[in-house]
Amino acid sequence: MKLLIADDEPAVRDLVHVTLEGDDYEILEAADGVEALEVARGEGPKLVLLDIMMPKLDGLEVCRQLKSDPDTSDIVVVMLTAQAQERDRDQGLAAGADDYFTKPFSPLALLNMVERVRQTQSQAD
Amino acid sequence: MRRLRVQLTILLALLGLLVMAWGATIFLGARDAARNSASVQLTVDRVDGLRQAATRLSRDFVTMDTSRRAYLLTGDKATLQTQVQAEVHASEGFEQLRRLALPWKGLPPLVERVGTEYRAWVRTGRTEVKARQAGAQAAARVAAKGFADRQFRALWERQTRLEDELAQRQAAYASSQGRTYKAAQTLAVRTAVMVLAAVLLIALYLRRAVGAPADALRSASGRLAGGDLGTPVELGVDNELGAVASDLETMRRRLAGRMEALERLRHLSAQVVGATSLQRLAEVVLDGLQPEIGATRTILGAARPGGDLVLRALAGFPDGGVADDIVKADADIRELLPMAALRGGQVVGMANLERVASSPTLHDLVARTGVRSLALVPLLSRGRFLGLLALCWTQPHPLDREQEALLGLAGNQIAGALEAALRLEEAERAAGEARAVFYAIADGVLLTDPFGRVTAVNRALEALTGWTEDEARGRTYAEVLPIAEDQVGGPADLVSRYGRKVPVTVSSAPIFDARGRVVGGVDVIRDVSKEREIDEVKSALISTVSHELRTPLTLIHGFAELLVLRDMPVERQRSSAVEILDASRRLARLIDDLLSVSRMESGRLVLDPRPLDLGTVVERILSPFRAMAATHTLRAKLPGSLPVVWGDPDKVEQILTNLVGNAIKYSPGGGEVLVTVEHDGDSVQVSVRDQGIGMSPRDMGQLFEKFYRVERDEVRRAGGTGLGLYITRRLVEMHGGRLWAESWPGVGSVFSFTLPTSDELAGSGR
Repeated sequence: MKLLIADDEPAVRDLVHVTLEGDDYEILEAADGVEALEVARGEGPKLVLLDIMMPKLDGLEVCRQLKSDPDTSDIVVVMLTAQAQERDRDQGLAAGADDYFTKPFSPLALLNMVERVRQTQSQAD
Repeated sequence: MRRLRVQLTILLALLGLLVMAWGATIFLGARDAARNSASVQLTVDRVDGLRQAATRLSRDFVTMDTSRRAYLLTGDKATLQTQVQAEVHASEGFEQLRRLALPWKGLPPLVERVGTEYRAWVRTGRTEVKARQAGAQAAARVAAKGFADRQFRALWERQTRLEDELAQRQAAYASSQGRTYKAAQTLAVRTAVMVLAAVLLIALYLRRAVGAPADALRSASGRLAGGDLGTPVELGVDNELGAVASDLETMRRRLAGRMEALERLRHLSAQVVGATSLQRLAEVVLDGLQPEIGATRTILGAARPGGDLVLRALAGFPDGGVADDIVKADADIRELLPMAALRGGQVVGMANLERVASSPTLHDLVARTGVRSLALVPLLSRGRFLGLLALCWTQPHPLDREQEALLGLAGNQIAGALEAALRLEEAERAAGEARAVFYAIADGVLLTDPFGRVTAVNRALEALTGWTEDEARGRTYAEVLPIAEDQVGGPADLVSRYGRKVPVTVSSAPIFDARGRVVGGVDVIRDVSKEREIDEVKSALISTVSHELRTPLTLIHGFAELLVLRDMPVERQRSSAVEILDASRRLARLIDDLLSVSRMESGRLVLDPRPLDLGTVVERILSPFRAMAATHTLRAKLPGSLPVVWGDPDKVEQILTNLVGNAIKYSPGGGEVLVTVEHDGDSVQVSVRDQGIGMSPRDMGQLFEKFYRVERDEVRRAGGTGLGLYITRRLVEMHGGRLWAESWPGVGSVFSFTLPTSDELAGSGR
């Protein structure tokens, strides 16, 4: 399954890489919002992990654009953010995000979530 | 003055004397008349005696003549005898006559002439007789000659004349007796007329000296009692009544003066009430009192709340410098003023200041101002000492009781006006303050009337709404301040006349009058865009900081969890541990930097400057980098001799470490990092040059801001807090230096800073 991790911190992307290490996932990376949109549109990942605070275009906007585009609205969007406040969560969900992870997040919880998405996807397929 | 009593006494005495004289005249006249009448009677009797004697003598002469003739004819002896006897009788009678005639004037010569004729006749007679005796013929011859007859006729003539004379005299005396009575009567009548005239004169005098003046006095006192003070009381007499009239006149003048003074006071009080400033009050008071008491200048002082007098106004002084002179002599004047009496409300006169002035300063002041005497009028209102009015004369001027009383009364009026003027002054000051506050206050303030129409707006509101005060006045509240009702009292967005949108908070309150009725409203509109901005900056900062903190925390947490819960190849385990180590270092650095920034921004970071050898410092910080950096060449270019700079060694090291660290970090491809130190005037310039990625002009603009990091992956991978250059710049500035950067994308960057060589460190506490 293709998934995209968009975060301006390379180390965070590394962490996601290490967490999802294995043959089941093809992991795409983006360092800012614009890149994330490009990759999501070009590669068509099933799942996008989106950091909110990113250069050029923030994660909420990326999410909004993905969800408003019929070609990409099926993509499961999970927000990854350092912002833990209720308001931010609401904003994320309002932007159309499917789930929400607050940094620091548990890699294994992330893995579980990703697995669930994969199973859902494979059932749908 | 002629005293009426004395005059009347004299008059009565005169009258008495006149009456007595009248009585005396009548008495004496009567007595004289009686006496005269008696004496005339006596005279008449004596004349009568003379006449009888003369008549008897005449009879004797006749007898003698008759007897002699008979004898001559007859020779009868008997006749001769008769003739001799008659002759004896006649001689005796003649002698008697002569004796009686002696005291009478003019009679003896007549008698003597009769005697001479008589004697001649007697001789001739005797001769004839002798002749007869000689014979009848002889006698006839003698007789024929007729001597004796002729002589007898002469005698008879004389005798007759004497008798006539006597008869005449007797008649004269008798008539003189009648005249005496008549004279006495005339005298009595005349005296009576004189007395009458005198009484008339006295009556006239009394009418003139007493009656008319008394009437005039009566009418004058009536006029005075009736309140007519305009007509002078004048009698034109110089006596007690005149004195009474002059007293009345004095009284009238005083009363008229009092009335006039009262009128002036009334006028003064009307004037002083209108005096709104203390200066005007002083002028009005001087105008009002000058005609009354002659003072030509006034000084007005007001008491401060503590009771000290302060000079507030002068009037009538030709020279403006007097105020300064008075203020300069303040202490001496204070000593001179009888404050206890003044506070007690007593008007105090100082008739001769030159005598009272106790110090050279005061003498000087008296000489300079030309004020010779003073009347000090305390101004009290309801027992409270409000101030002091000094009326000044340029001549010595003792104060009389009347003026003192007048000034006391005037003082009451002036005190009221002073209180009002002070209150007005205070109100105006307060209003001025309120106005100044109103217009100067940074928040927009809008005043409305009870109908919601704008009455005033301040400058801040003009700026917020775009309406000027003149334009806004009279418009409705909603027009000038388009804010929804429900937003009043809380945050709102105000759209100005020109469409600018400003976040504001509005607070409103009604304005009440003294009776609690609403007379308007006040709205305070605060422009909260700054606060919003600050809030936004603050929340952005918090979210940035939390983001920056959470990122390394995420890494530490994530890799640690993987290490703990997952089986990983050893290689992966090692790389995970390195990630944890890096992340924790980054976290520590971030915390250090945040603390530094916080200390710097709150002013708690203090430099500890000392002389530094920059060459040594540069070499010292370069060596650890040399040890770590494999792909970079680190080089220092130092001149032969360097001046000593002043700096905090730790901080200067931190500056250099940051810059060199950045140079390495942002030249991921390696290359040379060159540190150059140059002496430039009174400062030393240090430059760090790299051959790295460089920066775009956009990045350059935000380079020294907090948490700004160039958005490039290789940079991010290098790690950083975004605080390094911010801190570095602040440290340089604290040393009194300057930090700047030059950069060319793809070519490299040069960061330069200066440090002063002197010890003039600017803002070591900043």
